[in-house]
Amino acid sequence: MEDDVKVLLIEDDVAAAEMYRLRLVADGYTVIIGHDGHEGLRLAAEEAPDFIYLDLRMPGLDGFEVLERLRAEPATMHTPVIILSNYGEPELRERGLRLGALEFLVKADTTPAHLSQTVERAVSPRSLPSA
Amino acid sequence: MQLTAQLSSGAGAARDVRVLLLRDDLLICVAASGALDPAVPAACRVADRPSFEQAITSGEITGGPEIVVPVQADGVVVGLLVLGGGDALGEDERDTWLRLAGLLGFGISRAAIVDDLQQEAERSRGLERLKGEFLNIAAHELRSPLGIIRGYASMLSEGTLPETDRGTALARIAEKAEEMARLISDMLETARLETIGLELELEPVELLGVIDAALAEMRPLLGVDHRFPPVERSGAIAVVADRKRLTTMLTNLLDNAIKYSPGGGDIEVDCERDGRVARVQVRDHGIGINAEQAHMLFTRFGRLVTPETSHIRGTGLGLYLARETARLHGGDIHVTSTLGGGTTFTVVLPLA
Repeated sequence: MEDDVKVLLIEDDVAAAEMYRLRLVADGYTVIIGHDGHEGLRLAAEEAPDFIYLDLRMPGLDGFEVLERLRAEPATMHTPVIILSNYGEPELRERGLRLGALEFLVKADTTPAHLSQTVERAVSPRSLPSA
Repeated sequence: MQLTAQLSSGAGAARDVRVLLLRDDLLICVAASGALDPAVPAACRVADRPSFEQAITSGEITGGPEIVVPVQADGVVVGLLVLGGGDALGEDERDTWLRLAGLLGFGISRAAIVDDLQQEAERSRGLERLKGEFLNIAAHELRSPLGIIRGYASMLSEGTLPETDRGTALARIAEKAEEMARLISDMLETARLETIGLELELEPVELLGVIDAALAEMRPLLGVDHRFPPVERSGAIAVVADRKRLTTMLTNLLDNAIKYSPGGGDIEVDCERDGRVARVQVRDHGIGINAEQAHMLFTRFGRLVTPETSHIRGTGLGLYLARETARLHGGDIHVTSTLGGGTTFTVVLPLA
């Protein structure tokens, strides 16, 4: 059921990107990685991903700027974005959610399995547990 | 020694008064106004030490061309009032000068207490700041490697990791655990330095051996485009040093070189004798910094955060500790850098 779901990871920490990629691929997703904000935006425009994970602290363009630009583009305006950050400060969380992020995850508390579940929930809302 | 003022005790004629204070075994001249005269101490020491010492031994007002009134703070002679004017002291005048000396002594002892309290307060503010910075490191810098360790550990225990990726996973876990260990050891070392001070464990050390150990420790952290070229060897170079701390100092410099040359390139380490010192250079070809900002690198938490470096993780402790370590060894660290052209750190250590 996850066939053809394309996930874009915008993450400059190679070790983190590679780890999350392994799990997402094992769960059947197609994964592309943008290693900084600019590459992330380019891939978002060219590859039309179904889902985006976004790091905050990156060289050049930070995650908030990337999110603003994604929201300003008609093609990516509605693509679900989850922020995946080393930081967990409430003000960052608020800012991210206000800019339209679906969720704000702190990396140290987010196992690859947990991450993969968030895509599943986001791209197939009908499969949500009836809690 | 001409530092005099005209003062009258009220009971006699106006006299020239010099105030001499003893601090840290130096005589400091104070004009009657109370202002310190930084130009005078040396002259003062030469000119007045004998009469001062005499007064300390006798603890009494002496006769002669100058009348000396000891100033005591908490029972210790800390200074003198030196009265000129020729005439011997009358009973009333003597009492007045003694009272003045008593008040001065009382003031000095109170000032010393206030000084101590201020120093204590400053120290405790410093430790408070340090605590805040440590919490910040714990919140941000330790979380990142922790996330990778947890992530791979969870995948290994769930069995969701493909067989072919297990080796990579274990290598990553080891590497990130190592990163955390280094962060924690930098934090502990800083805390030690700021509270009780570092005690070096000195022994004869061969520098090339230390360099080899540091390179071996950092090799796993090299990016694919990085390289440690072979170190040129022109014979053993012996220093007396704390081997462990010297190695840590070099790994901190190498760590810095790796982090701030994201495009890769050679990271060269040279070691040479130069007269009575040994010189170790760590050179990268990375992003570099402005020459004017270079000195800030060594201040505690003095990381230079720019758009190019804001994503690079670091505690701002490594270079600070590196320089403190070099200085504890009687040496120092210098830096030269050009923006976009790389950075060279030079460690200077006295030869054994």
